[in-house]
Amino acid sequence: MPTGNAPPSVRPMTTGRTDGARVVRPGGAGARRGRAGPRAERFAPYLLLAPAALVIVVLRLYPLLLGVNFSFTGDGERNGVAVGLDNYLELLRDPLFRTALSNVGLLVLLLPVAVAIPGLLATFIYLRVPGHRLYRSVYFFPGVLSPVIVGAIFNLLLAFDGPFNALLGAVGIDAVDWLGDPGVAMFVVVGVHVWATFGMALVVFLAGFATLDAGLLDAARVDGASLLQVIRHVIVPGLARTIQFVAVTTMIGMLTSMFGLLYVMTSGGPEGSTYLPEYYIWIQQGQMNRPALASAASTVLFLVMLGVGLLQIKLLRRAGRED
Amino acid sequence: MKTRVVWSAVLVAGLALTGCGAATGPKSSPGGEAGKLVVWDWKSGEASAASYVEKAKADFARKHPGVEVEFVAQPFDQYYTLLGAAIQAGRGPDVILFNGGGQLRDRVDALTPLDGYVADDKQRLAGWEAFSKDGKVYAAPVTLQGHPIYYNKALYEKAALDPARPATTWSQFVADCAALAKAGATCFALGNKEGAGIQFWLSALGSGVLTAQEYDAWIAGRRDWKSPNVRRIFQLWKEAGDAGLNNQGANSTAMFNDSFALFQSGKAAHIIGLMSDVGHWKDFSEFLTADKLGVLDAPVVTPGSTPSLPYDGGIGYGVAKWTKVPKVAADLVRSLTSTEALQAFYQAAGAIAADTTIDVSQGGPAVATIVSRLRTGKPALHVALSSKTLELMGRLSQQLLSGSVTVDEVVKQLAASDQAG
Repeated sequence: MPTGNAPPSVRPMTTGRTDGARVVRPGGAGARRGRAGPRAERFAPYLLLAPAALVIVVLRLYPLLLGVNFSFTGDGERNGVAVGLDNYLELLRDPLFRTALSNVGLLVLLLPVAVAIPGLLATFIYLRVPGHRLYRSVYFFPGVLSPVIVGAIFNLLLAFDGPFNALLGAVGIDAVDWLGDPGVAMFVVVGVHVWATFGMALVVFLAGFATLDAGLLDAARVDGASLLQVIRHVIVPGLARTIQFVAVTTMIGMLTSMFGLLYVMTSGGPEGSTYLPEYYIWIQQGQMNRPALASAASTVLFLVMLGVGLLQIKLLRRAGRED
Repeated sequence: MKTRVVWSAVLVAGLALTGCGAATGPKSSPGGEAGKLVVWDWKSGEASAASYVEKAKADFARKHPGVEVEFVAQPFDQYYTLLGAAIQAGRGPDVILFNGGGQLRDRVDALTPLDGYVADDKQRLAGWEAFSKDGKVYAAPVTLQGHPIYYNKALYEKAALDPARPATTWSQFVADCAALAKAGATCFALGNKEGAGIQFWLSALGSGVLTAQEYDAWIAGRRDWKSPNVRRIFQLWKEAGDAGLNNQGANSTAMFNDSFALFQSGKAAHIIGLMSDVGHWKDFSEFLTADKLGVLDAPVVTPGSTPSLPYDGGIGYGVAKWTKVPKVAADLVRSLTSTEALQAFYQAAGAIAADTTIDVSQGGPAVATIVSRLRTGKPALHVALSSKTLELMGRLSQQLLSGSVTVDEVVKQLAASDQAG
């Protein structure tokens, strides 16, 4: 429990600091300090916390409050006028925003796949498949590319007359409009996002494997367990906490950092099928000149993230208790 | 855990009770500086605009030798954000470059009406409409922007069509497209990834579908979405897609600049392009040569309609309200739109300048055709629509191409959006 731990960890640190000061400035000051000591000690934690607290309050909480506040005002002619829930009702009626929210749901559904891919590949590396040293570095390569560059590369590869479709054509499969078909585009973008970011999750998995008891694996092998059985009964239970950690970070990554890819690859299209809330917010604010509506959408996104975050904390804590 | 939930709930609920403040800032107050004029734009940093700026500066220095002029080139993607900040502060540039239409009209509160200063230029320059609001002129046009239908004459020859006589009616045009398809080229290069393809389509073909009265009423804001001719424009868009007149994968092809590349590389015979900046006659001429590039009038769909070139004022300079010396600033605007300066801009950047007296005979047949149509041209249809309706139209146009919506539904939704705005 973080709150339970806080006081003991603060106390020794502050006494440490005052001791240090005494060494630097010896003499008469020491006597006065002796009287002021307990009070200074009482205020020291607040003083030390102040910079961090101020940064959070001024740069995070205050803008958040302003944003929520703006979401109850109007745009354009009604700038600055309180309009109640009008913006939220408009969001509810806007099919584009509904698509954006349902795409968030889709991301949650695709999360197991996004976690399984690096997990499986890390397993292969751990089990020392031929060439595992090479793969370990190759898998991480896409992680150093910016989303814009990744998007541009896949725009070329997945163009209707691009190399990917040419390859399909060579084996007799009809061309697919990867980024122009509303039923396909979102999956393609998520796939590219997973390709571009799974390297980091892979590294986390490899770190998790380092803590796995090799004796258990050997024992399973001696007992004649197949590869699938080893994964199912030894590796997955042993890595439960790693898997949960990767799930949380992957989910956050998908919800917050797909803007660049969407912007470059689909611009929210085709037919608005690849909108995510952050892209919607950007369009309303930057293109449609609707800052108040964008504030309302931001507030909804904030609530969604709050819900997802709390749920994940709950899950993690439960997992922690089991250990 | 529980405290956290409670605190979050308290935070959100507390805020939900209030609704004050404003998402955009308060109105501005005047400020400014004399003896020196500051110009904001996004063009002067480009090499192709260097001679234009030089000519304009020289012209202004002759009139006001004591006044210094500073050009500040801003990045275009942040231009209106930066300008918004300047307007809120009530101080900033004296002379400001604008895109015509909505971008200017939304900000006329920060501008000085120029009618008294530019009266002598009214005849010489075209495109004033895009820089006017409620009968007052707020900026002087520099370039014109519009949507000519370009065609590749070499492909016409290959398909045994007469490049000097392109189709004038829609049925003839479709027949020509069949011949072009046999010669291995698609009819249109279409990039509709951003949803901009339909905007160009609406404006380029509109004059051949709507009657003159319908067209003028549309521009004046009286848009009859129930008219069969309006419906016909979207019907044609769908038919063209279904009949394979466009390149494949149009919904995933970016207009800027993949569709332009299709036309330039001779894979498509026609493209609805632009007049200035990019995707215009000068870009295309570099690849296809000026002789092989033509511009055709909108094919007539509705008998009795008169095809016209759709164009508006592209960019123009206005004078800020807070400037101390509006007369001098207006003189700078006049220098920036002088024939000599605009001639230089046309030659270096290929922009169709607002000055109709510029000699373009050296530029090839395409530019000659465009300039000859300026006199009878009309404002583009899509420019009259709100950005919200345009965004919706972009999405619906993609659905029309993929077949997931009917034309009637499209017209119904657009009408609702247009009338709501």
